[in-house]
Amino acid sequence: MDSNNTIGLHAAWVIPLLSAIAFLIIVISMRLVGFFFSERSKLVMLAPILSITAILTGFILFWLVLLDVLNFGGGSISMNWLTVGLTEIRWGIFVDKVSVTMLGLVTFIALLVQVYSLGYMKGDRHFEWYFAIHSLFAAAMLTLVLADNLLFLYFAWELVGLGSYLLIGFWWEKRSAAEAAKKAFITTRIGDVCLLIGIILLFKATGTFNISTIFHIAESGGIGEVTLNSSILLIFIGAMGKSAQFPFHVWLPDAMEGPTPVSALIHAATMVAAGVYLVARMMPIFQLAPEIMLIVMIIGLITFIFAGTMALVMSDIKKVLAYSTISHLGLMMLCLGAGGVAAAIFHLVVHGIAKALLFLGAGSVMHSISNETNIWKMGGLRHRMPITAVTFFIGAASLAGLPPLAGFFSKDELLLSVLHDGQYVVLAITLFGVFLSALYMARVAIVPFLGSTPKHLAKSHESSLIMWIPLVILAILSAGVGFLILPLSSSYPGWAEFIDPTHHFELEPWLMILSIILALAALILGWSIYLKKSVSAKQVSQFAPYLYKAILNKYYIDDFYQWVIDKCVLAFGRLVALFDRVVINDTAVDGSAISIYLSALKTRVLQTGYLFTYGAAMAIGACGLSILWWVLLD
Amino acid sequence: MIELTHFQVLSGLLFAIGLYGVLARRNLILVLMSIELMLNAVNINLIGYSSFMNASESHRALGHVLIIFVITVAAAELALAIAIILRLYRNKSSINTDDINIMKW
Amino acid sequence: MTSLVFFYLACVVILSGGLTVVLSRNIIYAAFGLMAALAGVAGLFILSFAPFLALVQILIYGGAIVIVIIFALMLTKLEDFRTLSDHKHWPIALIASLLTLGTIVAAAFYTPVNLASRRGVDLSKMAHELFSQWAIPFEIASLLLLIALMGGVIMVRKTDSSDDK
Repeated sequence: MDSNNTIGLHAAWVIPLLSAIAFLIIVISMRLVGFFFSERSKLVMLAPILSITAILTGFILFWLVLLDVLNFGGGSISMNWLTVGLTEIRWGIFVDKVSVTMLGLVTFIALLVQVYSLGYMKGDRHFEWYFAIHSLFAAAMLTLVLADNLLFLYFAWELVGLGSYLLIGFWWEKRSAAEAAKKAFITTRIGDVCLLIGIILLFKATGTFNISTIFHIAESGGIGEVTLNSSILLIFIGAMGKSAQFPFHVWLPDAMEGPTPVSALIHAATMVAAGVYLVARMMPIFQLAPEIMLIVMIIGLITFIFAGTMALVMSDIKKVLAYSTISHLGLMMLCLGAGGVAAAIFHLVVHGIAKALLFLGAGSVMHSISNETNIWKMGGLRHRMPITAVTFFIGAASLAGLPPLAGFFSKDELLLSVLHDGQYVVLAITLFGVFLSALYMARVAIVPFLGSTPKHLAKSHESSLIMWIPLVILAILSAGVGFLILPLSSSYPGWAEFIDPTHHFELEPWLMILSIILALAALILGWSIYLKKSVSAKQVSQFAPYLYKAILNKYYIDDFYQWVIDKCVLAFGRLVALFDRVVINDTAVDGSAISIYLSALKTRVLQTGYLFTYGAAMAIGACGLSILWWVLLD
Repeated sequence: MIELTHFQVLSGLLFAIGLYGVLARRNLILVLMSIELMLNAVNINLIGYSSFMNASESHRALGHVLIIFVITVAAAELALAIAIILRLYRNKSSINTDDINIMKW
Repeated sequence: MTSLVFFYLACVVILSGGLTVVLSRNIIYAAFGLMAALAGVAGLFILSFAPFLALVQILIYGGAIVIVIIFALMLTKLEDFRTLSDHKHWPIALIASLLTLGTIVAAAFYTPVNLASRRGVDLSKMAHELFSQWAIPFEIASLLLLIALMGGVIMVRKTDSSDDK
């Protein structure tokens, strides 16, 4: 099996390269257009054409890679970049089932989002730049997924962060968008630094960055326990930053300042999944540190519940979806902590499709009602925008866990993993979280689309073709993808075993039925609160007013962080500035000059100009010298 | 009996007197005179050594020769010093050492 | 014995002359005191069996130097100086001169010298040394005198508009 030179393998590294080339060409042509043409409108479509072509080709090549993996099981190729002493730093790709899955997800969602953006971003001032960053981001994300060594992965990780920053702050003329981009970058940066330290620790312990090699060395006990535990913890913190786990979640809701397709791509399906992907990829060494796995699970659980409560009270549709994303990412981490790699990856795919669908649907709604995002100002939109409404319902139902949609299957697998890990307390809390997620999904689906239309929205209409086709495609997938989990034929033992050969497809009927009951109960509750209004939302919120206020204020975490920044970080900065000004500038630099000046000022006085002074000094000096000579020499 | 120490002590006394005159007197010409005293003190010392040294005559002759030279140089230096003083007097109409203090900080 | 008496006599003359120079209020008295001191030194030279040097001393110091000094005193106004307050900084001057005296006397008493009885140097011997062993310093001394002469003349010339002041 010549797995290192197949067409599929080479197709794999071409995929990100295409997007990178598209990015470069768009950027260069933007400059040239600026120089040579004053009339932009003719060339403005060049950018999306290049970008979409690149990603479409990437998607087509993905199928080649998939074929390759199915036949040969994947492989890796690499090329030497830099040799420093005995260390080789290489560019390389590693294709296996997990990475090919991510490859498919990223290219597919990116393609759909870029097509959608043709309609959404039409007429925007920085139209070409938008597609340029999309290409850059796609190239970086694809590289991250394919990377075979940690350094290359980190390189792509940072580029992905850059792409996110650029896209969140796309409308940077708006102050809040610029602030949000900065917040995102800085918060993830803390995680990135920890990730880098973790990578370096592993490199120090093993002498290589290559992931497979590190696994071999670690499994044969070649890494000390302290080093192993600390580097794994640091890597997890890096993943926490990117995947918006508690306490690094603060950037994701603010990131909604970016255009909605961006939120769909980056903050639902791909970039935030990078953290989950990293943990999944590094799972062989995570399993060598069971305490860290426990930490992963607990952080995932906290994030899941915590963000779920916040999603329940927000009025901004995009913020609800953002908190829902955080919550589901927590759920994925929870599952990874319990050891269910296959289930987590499956949920990543399902969630990615469904969340992208929901975001694009929200964007469609906002586009037609002049960017209004408050759900209480919307209502009854299913009459005005039927396609959007239906697809939105499908996405919401999928994520709420209704059978036979995909979300039900993936949630079931997740719960199974937690059960098999023997964590019954965690399971109970997770079930509560499942209830919450179904409830808020019901809320965000019912309020804008059902009920009566307010007067000011009477003119709203369905979006253009180019915007609802991706919605439909995503809805179909969202409904159907779930069946992949089942063993469909003799050669296909079900998704879980496909990914992770030790995992066999099982059913625990009582768990399945329990989750269905919870989801239905939540839906019925949501129906009665928000549509029938038989249970008043206000009364529920008055039940625990302080808790309600706390949740509404995002548990005051943002305020706490701001306080820390103001008091500690800025104070430290001021201290350093003071030190620099007083010690280094005034004392050392200015001081050495001034001290010379002052000493000269005092010494100058000796030159009085009087004969007497000089004569006396000479006489006494000469006597002194002769006495000294006499004393020293005799 | 005259001893070398007599010459030496006398020379020292005259030198000290001359030094006091240089430092304490305000008229520049008096300062000059005191300098002459100091030079003469040196001469006394030299002749003393020349007389009492236990060396050959040609070595002792150095003392006398040096005395000649000291006298010569004293004369030359005095001439130039007077020239300077006269110039100074022409410019400042004063040869008081307290008034001559331009070369200071 | 007699030489000692004469020595002390010369001593007295020299020291009183020196004190007159240094302490006298009247500068003409000071000039004469200088003359006396120089004459005393000439006497010492005679005591040391160097009559030629004594002659040179009287001739040059007494005949030229003191005269020149008195000329210079005349050229600068005499009346002003009667009212001068001398010895303004006498403490430091006293200290300096006493320090010097102490140094010299201490050196005198503590330096071992190889001594013989007092004797002079023959004039012809001295002349021989001057023109053979010490010929170059002699020539330089004459050059020095030339330069001093020229310098003195240039310095005191009356300046007209063509010279820089």
